[in-house]
Amino acid sequence: MAQVAVLSRVRLAAQVAAALLACAVVGGCLLTPREAEPPETGNIVRYLEQIAPVNTWDNLETSANATHAPGWEAAISSMSFLYEPDSAADNQFPGVFATWNRDKELAFINALYNSKVTIVAQMRNPEFVVPPSSGSESLWENVIYDVIVTSKVDASRVRYRGLADIKFTLEGNFWYISEWRDRQGESDPDSGQLLSTLGVLRGSFASK
Amino acid sequence: MRVAASKRNNHFLCGLCRVSPWRPLATGLFLLLALAPVATRAQDDSESAPVDSTATGLGAALSQAAASGFAADNGAFFLGMTQEPKAGIKANVQKYTWFGEWNTVAQLHAGAQAQSHLEWYWDQFRKQEKNVESRKGTLSYGFGKQLPLVTTIDGNWNWSEDRTTNTAGYANLYKMDNKLVNLSSSQQKFQGLGLMNSVRLGANFNDQAGLNQNQRSEFREGTAQGGVQSGWALAPGLILAGRLAGTATGGTRLLAALSSPSSAHGDSIGVGVYFNRGIGTGHVAMTRSSFAKKYLEFRRNANGLVDTVGIDEPDKVLTELETHDALTFDVAHKFKLGRFGGEIKGGHTTDDLAYATGLAGLKQRAQDSADMTLTYNAGRDSLVAFGTVGESWDDQRIKAATSSRGRQLVRRREFQFNWYRRLFKATRLNLQYHEDLTQDVAENRFNENDKDRLQADFAGKLERAWAGRFRTSMVFSYRQTRDISIRGSSSSNNNIKESYELVPGFSWNLAPWITIDQNYRVYIQYTDYLYSYLPSVTRKDDYNKRGDLVTKVMLVPNERLRVTVRHDSNRRFNATKSVEDAAGSAFYNRDLEQDISKIRLDLAYTVTPGVSLECGTYRTRDDKTSLGRTTTKTRTDSGEIVVGTRVDRTWGAQRDFEVSAMVKKISAYGPSVTASSADFWEADVWLKWLF
Repeated sequence: MAQVAVLSRVRLAAQVAAALLACAVVGGCLLTPREAEPPETGNIVRYLEQIAPVNTWDNLETSANATHAPGWEAAISSMSFLYEPDSAADNQFPGVFATWNRDKELAFINALYNSKVTIVAQMRNPEFVVPPSSGSESLWENVIYDVIVTSKVDASRVRYRGLADIKFTLEGNFWYISEWRDRQGESDPDSGQLLSTLGVLRGSFASK
Repeated sequence: MRVAASKRNNHFLCGLCRVSPWRPLATGLFLLLALAPVATRAQDDSESAPVDSTATGLGAALSQAAASGFAADNGAFFLGMTQEPKAGIKANVQKYTWFGEWNTVAQLHAGAQAQSHLEWYWDQFRKQEKNVESRKGTLSYGFGKQLPLVTTIDGNWNWSEDRTTNTAGYANLYKMDNKLVNLSSSQQKFQGLGLMNSVRLGANFNDQAGLNQNQRSEFREGTAQGGVQSGWALAPGLILAGRLAGTATGGTRLLAALSSPSSAHGDSIGVGVYFNRGIGTGHVAMTRSSFAKKYLEFRRNANGLVDTVGIDEPDKVLTELETHDALTFDVAHKFKLGRFGGEIKGGHTTDDLAYATGLAGLKQRAQDSADMTLTYNAGRDSLVAFGTVGESWDDQRIKAATSSRGRQLVRRREFQFNWYRRLFKATRLNLQYHEDLTQDVAENRFNENDKDRLQADFAGKLERAWAGRFRTSMVFSYRQTRDISIRGSSSSNNNIKESYELVPGFSWNLAPWITIDQNYRVYIQYTDYLYSYLPSVTRKDDYNKRGDLVTKVMLVPNERLRVTVRHDSNRRFNATKSVEDAAGSAFYNRDLEQDISKIRLDLAYTVTPGVSLECGTYRTRDDKTSLGRTTTKTRTDSGEIVVGTRVDRTWGAQRDFEVSAMVKKISAYGPSVTASSADFWEADVWLKWLF
């Protein structure tokens, strides 16, 4: 009986080893990323280390201005992400935001950046006083962002400006955006016209 | 055609036959009556046919009330009625809400049921200059067995006014007034022509008037829809099924100052083979659907974004014709052979969306996917391997362009292996290996955003339930993430992140009234920037380390009192790589040291059944030292205290009166606490009467 038990243990070990070997083969063949081109001089996208909420938020601005999705992706929490649109965006795209999560946020930002646009973003108004971070959560209230999206195809220029509450969470060693609640659209500083929040931009890309 | 606002209301009062949006509703009713004899016979054949559906209309509370308090069906038409008025107030850090609701349920002959729901809400926002008033009304009638098909008719009215003034002083009124009448009828699984059939019919009339930024948006449309599904048993365990559905909408729309007829029609057809035989279960199915929709729309740019700045008023709105075609093909097979089991899935989807007027032109999407899961059970061990391969793309041909933009592809490959093993008595081991590669590719390089992300992780968890009330666990995980932008214009931040995590912990139930949980978490992450050696790249390799000790004590000294004390202590370091010597040893400079300590106390005391007192408080101390040419030390403190009560009481022989109240006072301080969040009430109080 003891020999049988040893044999079955050996057989199982062999099966597990074979499975792990198969993993390595599959990983080596199918899961190999492409080689990257070396950075071009003058095209360096400079992000800040996300050791403070303000760095995380400012990285969104860097990401948008460079239309470089990894920067936006790195700022969004992978543990939990909630986006709450303002009522105008919610009414315009009913049902779109009920299941909004990190995957949808990343799909949106990639779709936006890949749609032949240039972006000029200012993610916090100069009057906004950044509260010092403390503990493992930080809440920013009433930050005003301003994003201008220009199409390279038809040269049209659409401006978004909104007031939002942002919650940052310390995960591991870095700060991430875990909640983004758009409160209301703000006026165009030049024309005084009421502008939409980024909820409308999100809804436009997510709904069709 | 431009119309004045007053004409619209006159049009609404016209006779039903002359108002075009009612035609689909009338068509739906006609079809319903025409099919009634067939379905009656079918229902007589099938004892198990569903009696009623209350899925539409009101919530579960109403259904329960209706189900509980009515007399049996003794032939009378009217069997009973309940009324349920409710009023209350809510408060939180964002807003105060006053509300009133009134529910009525009438139980009628042959399982029929009539329900109504009225509500009024007033929201006053604390942190914004904003008030929202909303009114809703719902009338619902379920015919029960009065008609041969399972039929309900609903009327809904939604009205709201949202007045918001933004920080620049711009005051906007967003108004909406919607009326919807909906008729739905269905019959599930009845025999006819040697087939097993299901049929559903529906019609609705929707009238909405809206106002936003002084721009009117209105529509008045009627819709008729129907669908049939039939199945044919080809052989035991083998069924061929077909589906056919269609919908038609007609009416008028008004946007800004332009009025125009609107219409939509769509259809879908599907066929599938479903099997449940010796080789397992599965299906092969294909569905094709299409619709065309004509409506008024604000002018949009090539990306589909509303763009009316600088456009003359008459040109801001245009008539759009939108067409949509989709094809879906999917297969699935689930099997079991001895100790082996598995599941295979595959799918192919194409989706074309075209705008006749809008600059967005033609948008095309496609998706292919294949998943395979294999499982093996061997007594104390069980093994699971999962793999998936998928590719999706989207493309666009801008209106009047001679060629498409190029495909934006997303390729994904994923592999996962799990091994579960019971090591000893009450001791379990769980190991997982996972790899995931996602690639973004722009065909013809129409953008510079090509990127790959490869993530590989290995995790193990060992758990043991010791004799008595002691449990231990140990978690270890390693993860490597490669973020690679392919193009030189965006590759400067390419990096590899390696993280390690170790979490030992225990839970000890010392006595029935006291439990202690404690775990310690060590987390280390190294980031290597692939091009940090280039002078032009400013990113430097770094590491981050964190230790976190969480201790939780739960005390339940008696049935009335529950106390929880929790302490979090964590310490972290960030450091940047300074040099690497010839032997490859790296040296790091510490940039930041931080200690965060948080203690929290929660207490709940039951005064009498249905009445409890609750309080909670925490304090956090955060000491931060930033190291560099000059060293700076900061200390921040934050905290909160919550005191409140919770009441849930009922009175009367039938519990006719019910009061629910939760009232809390919250006071907080700390660097990110604003004046409006420093001191506020949280409440949810309501009174309900059932008669």
